[in-house]
Amino acid sequence: MKLLVCIKQVPDLESRFKPNAEGVWYNETDLAWRMNEYDEYAVEQAVQLREKLGEGTELTVLSIGSDRVVEAIKKALAMGADNAAHIQDPAAASKDPWQIASIIATYAKDKAFDIIFTGMQSQDRGSAQVGVTVAEQLGIACTTTIVGFEYDSGNIRAKRELEGGIKGIVKMKTPALVTCQMGLNVPRYPTLPNIMKAKKKEIAVIPVADLLKEEALATTASFHPPAKKGGGIVLEGDVGVLVDQLIAILKDKTAVLR
Amino acid sequence: MKTLLIGEYREGKLLDSTYELFGFASQMGSETAMLMVGSESQLPAYGGTLYLADAATCGEYNPDLHKKLILDAVQKENPDYIVFVHSSYGWDLAPRVAASLKVAQVSELIGVVPGGFEVGCCNAKMRRTVKPNGARAVLTIQAGAFPVEQPGGTPQLQKLAASESGTLEFVGYEPAEKKDVDLGKAEIIVSAGRGIGKKDNVPVIAALAKALGGELGASRPVVDAGWVEHSHQVGTTGQTVSPKLYVACGISGAIQHLAGMKKSDFIVAINKDKDAPIGEIADVLVVADVMQFVPALTAKVAR
Amino acid sequence: MEATREIYWNIGHGVVIPMYILAFAAFGVMAWGFWKRLPIWRQGKALDRFDRYDERVKRMIAEVFSQEKIFRVTDGGIFHALFFWGFLTLFAGTMLVMFQADFFTPLLHVNILSGEFYKAFSLLLDLAGLVSLAMLAGLIIRRFIIMPKGLEIVRDDYIVLQLLLAILITGFFLEGARMAATELRQNPGLAIFSPGGLLAAQPMKFMSQEGLLVTHKILWWLHFALVLGFFYAIPYTKLRHILTTSVNAFLAPFEPKGFITTINLEDESVEQFGAAAITDLTWKDIFDADACTSCKRCQDRCPAYATDKPLSPMKIVKQIGELAEGNPSGNLIETVSQDALWSCTTCRACQDVCPANIEHVNKILEMRRNLTLMEGAFPGDEVRTAVSNIEVNGNPFGLTYAARGEWADGLDLISMESGEEVEILYFVGCYASFDKRNQQIAKSFVTICNAAGIKVGILGKEEKCCGEPLRKLGNEYLYQMMAQENIELIKGYGVKRIVTTCPHCFNTLARDYKDLGLDVPVEHYSTYVSRLITDERLKIKPNAETFNFTYHDSCYLGRYMDIIEQPRSILKAAGGQITEMDKSGYDSFCCSAGGGRILAEEKLGSKISEARVKMAQETGAPLLVSNCPFCLTMFEDGIKTGGAEGELQVRDLAEILAERITA
Repeated sequence: MKLLVCIKQVPDLESRFKPNAEGVWYNETDLAWRMNEYDEYAVEQAVQLREKLGEGTELTVLSIGSDRVVEAIKKALAMGADNAAHIQDPAAASKDPWQIASIIATYAKDKAFDIIFTGMQSQDRGSAQVGVTVAEQLGIACTTTIVGFEYDSGNIRAKRELEGGIKGIVKMKTPALVTCQMGLNVPRYPTLPNIMKAKKKEIAVIPVADLLKEEALATTASFHPPAKKGGGIVLEGDVGVLVDQLIAILKDKTAVLR
Repeated sequence: MKTLLIGEYREGKLLDSTYELFGFASQMGSETAMLMVGSESQLPAYGGTLYLADAATCGEYNPDLHKKLILDAVQKENPDYIVFVHSSYGWDLAPRVAASLKVAQVSELIGVVPGGFEVGCCNAKMRRTVKPNGARAVLTIQAGAFPVEQPGGTPQLQKLAASESGTLEFVGYEPAEKKDVDLGKAEIIVSAGRGIGKKDNVPVIAALAKALGGELGASRPVVDAGWVEHSHQVGTTGQTVSPKLYVACGISGAIQHLAGMKKSDFIVAINKDKDAPIGEIADVLVVADVMQFVPALTAKVAR
Repeated sequence: MEATREIYWNIGHGVVIPMYILAFAAFGVMAWGFWKRLPIWRQGKALDRFDRYDERVKRMIAEVFSQEKIFRVTDGGIFHALFFWGFLTLFAGTMLVMFQADFFTPLLHVNILSGEFYKAFSLLLDLAGLVSLAMLAGLIIRRFIIMPKGLEIVRDDYIVLQLLLAILITGFFLEGARMAATELRQNPGLAIFSPGGLLAAQPMKFMSQEGLLVTHKILWWLHFALVLGFFYAIPYTKLRHILTTSVNAFLAPFEPKGFITTINLEDESVEQFGAAAITDLTWKDIFDADACTSCKRCQDRCPAYATDKPLSPMKIVKQIGELAEGNPSGNLIETVSQDALWSCTTCRACQDVCPANIEHVNKILEMRRNLTLMEGAFPGDEVRTAVSNIEVNGNPFGLTYAARGEWADGLDLISMESGEEVEILYFVGCYASFDKRNQQIAKSFVTICNAAGIKVGILGKEEKCCGEPLRKLGNEYLYQMMAQENIELIKGYGVKRIVTTCPHCFNTLARDYKDLGLDVPVEHYSTYVSRLITDERLKIKPNAETFNFTYHDSCYLGRYMDIIEQPRSILKAAGGQITEMDKSGYDSFCCSAGGGRILAEEKLGSKISEARVKMAQETGAPLLVSNCPFCLTMFEDGIKTGGAEGELQVRDLAEILAERITA
């Protein structure tokens, strides 16, 4: 059985974002990088399945980006993926979701993956499109936002998270793609022997030009901070004074305090 | 300009969020048509063309089939935009439609600006303006970003039917965990976020809620950490609330949370970080240590 | 009449050969008993504790004969030390008698046990016997009647205490019988030099001569049999500590306190990290169990134990011994329990007070290493998050690393990036960099340095967590990653001296980083500032207002680095009047933040910080002074949750000093 998990390396969201020179994405200076959190759940689920199925199952991790994404790939390998594909693309951020999906789909097309795991969305771009689009391009079954996953001989039973805490139960047959939501599992912390082993695992480096055949369908015109909402009052200073100020405002502006 | 709006229907009911689609369409100033897989007994108050497929036969969640129905309607209506709510239904279905049409999709719009659509990114800290390259595009709008609008009237029904089974089998719903509190009806909510530091501090926030005569809410991380029961969770995966007063204590304002409480009448945020995203929607941002400020406020309010 | 006594009186010299045979047999059995324990100890991994032989022997002799470690705790300690010296005197006396009877008399034909020397000898031994008896009585009363909390009563206690009591009592009655039959009748003036024997002779005085002879013979053999029993019993009961605890004074490490073995992460042949089984520990770790006397001093001092957490350092040592002996393939970590392991604050109070030189902390760390490196385990999800934050942003809060140096905006110091020459590199640490309250420490330290005209540099956003909490949690891998990055940076700037305000950074940079190749003098600001004052580079305001305070010794300054006087002197010089807490100096009680616990929630038992805050309150001083950001954080918290707000204030030494110096 062949499994694929697609991951993205994203900036830590505590970072301060500044537009780059072109003003269409963030400047990479002073950013700390990590694996997209949604993807960690995807990797964990894939590794759990890989462990359950044992010998004869191969789990590949794929990431698109510049050399720095190798760090995220190594983490996935340390978590338990068998090998990796690094789609070398220093300009990945300028690709639209359609292009990213088509890169993955082109890579996966003749490899007969039984199940593809992706995060539900990336934390930085957040389009929530790539996973589903890959499935569409490959023509395989797909469901999104899963918080529960079971697999048994070619059949997947997944639990989707819907609004208001309701869950939807879905069944499908492989080959299939699932996009993973936070809370699906508890991503493991890689053990030291596995970190060491990961150093020896094979990472195939593929230039993006070999896989990208599609033009972008959308363009980012600008990347900028949100306009500050007018009217919002910012109170700063001594706590005692702040309390009185807030109570005065609440009495003035709301009906809840008299 | 014409938009095809995709309504939402779940567990036998038309979802309220559907009306936000009309709000978006008016902001765009476009003609509309609507498509919904639902039921004739639950029609939206809308006077335009409504392509209706029966959820009893087409399923409430059957993306392969729903995609085909939408593609049918697209062929008939030839819309510029196909618009979904960015929900578990919308973000699941929209990319399938976009891929089939090979058009751009812009996800989770929060606004329409000259030269494109405004979307949030980097956990709502930043914005992008995105422009589809072609004439037609699939859009999903952020829940709560556009005003609810009830156009009124009775739809002209265009019934659609499809019989294929698709690749997915929908088994059924699993109800949300039982709730001991109904935040949806609360007039005042005081919510705890990860900024309160630890579980031991939850009672401090609960005390303020009690002093104000409101309910205790919580952000997702606080619930995930097991500090507060899930029934208190505010946000897209918890409850969407609209109280008269919402006090966010130590909540930085992850988008999931903001979407669940931004309709509150008056929002007070207490946060150490002046630049926390919650400050953008708060009517009052108190820059202070939560664990110092809240007990002091509680003491004054209780008096 | 000459003052002496006939050795083997009433027993006859015919007893010599069987006596020696039996005595050597007893020693043989004792040796065999220890020999059989060798394979138990040898299950552990290799460790060289036989280097610097002379120093080790000297240390062992000094420690054992002086009983200094025993004396440190007077409860039980005084009894033990006096008993030890008494019993040792009796043993030495018996040896002298043996040499007199079987060597000096037959071979040299001299009797040294006569005359004034005999009188003194007899008196000394009798007094030693009486002291031993009295101390033994004290020990028996303590164990069986007073029963101090936590002191267990086991089979060995009955055997050992009764055996010793019987030896001493039969000894005196044996002497009494001899005296009743001889001295009292022939040379009563001499009897006064055997007060114990004289007392024991009183009831026997009226017996017939035959009766006395028979009684004496019976008592002699009984006493002899009991002494043989004593030697037999040594390897099989707690008495083994006579040998093992003494030997542990020989085996104690020479490395600086707090030394932890640095794992070679380049060695790809290693696949097992930390201790999951007995065989993953060193032989010394197992031997320690045999050296343990169950005195429970470690347990008494353990802050985790004192606040009802499932950790007793003594219990862990014993559990290791029990597994090694009874179930060597058993699961070590399950036996000890994860909760017990994660509860440790690595405060070193246990190890510091242990009279047997047992190394508790590194055993716990080895097991934690296994949990962390082999299982990816954490004491809680909050720690998992904090660790991953350190990995990504170099600080446990998950704040952007780019903001690390922002506390210093507008202050008079130098960013190392600028390449400017500095006198010291101030390694700020995560708490003083990011936490608002702790930033006051950093700012105060800069104020002090400015006043002394010192050019201070900081690494700013390039600085990363020193890795201390990681290392103490067992995460050697991430610790080394952090350490290597810091070391490379520091080396690159050619730093000449590093000063920290955090004792945890201080210990790590000064000691742990050495193993990874950093060789720059590192010190805590307490000693650095103390020197600035001595050198008169820093002057304290002449008429600074006086203030009352109590001082908390951070574990990593006091116990780990022996910095106890300097901070107190600075505070006193600055106008402070100290009221000490009961637990201060080497006996200080941890704030709860060590051992990586700063990152963890305290879910078990009561709060250590509240307990410590209470101790501070009991001094009546309105101000608690510490000089560690971790301690400050914990006490700020403990004062709030423990209801001491308004009564007690906690401040860092730097904050106080900064207000009281002349610019």
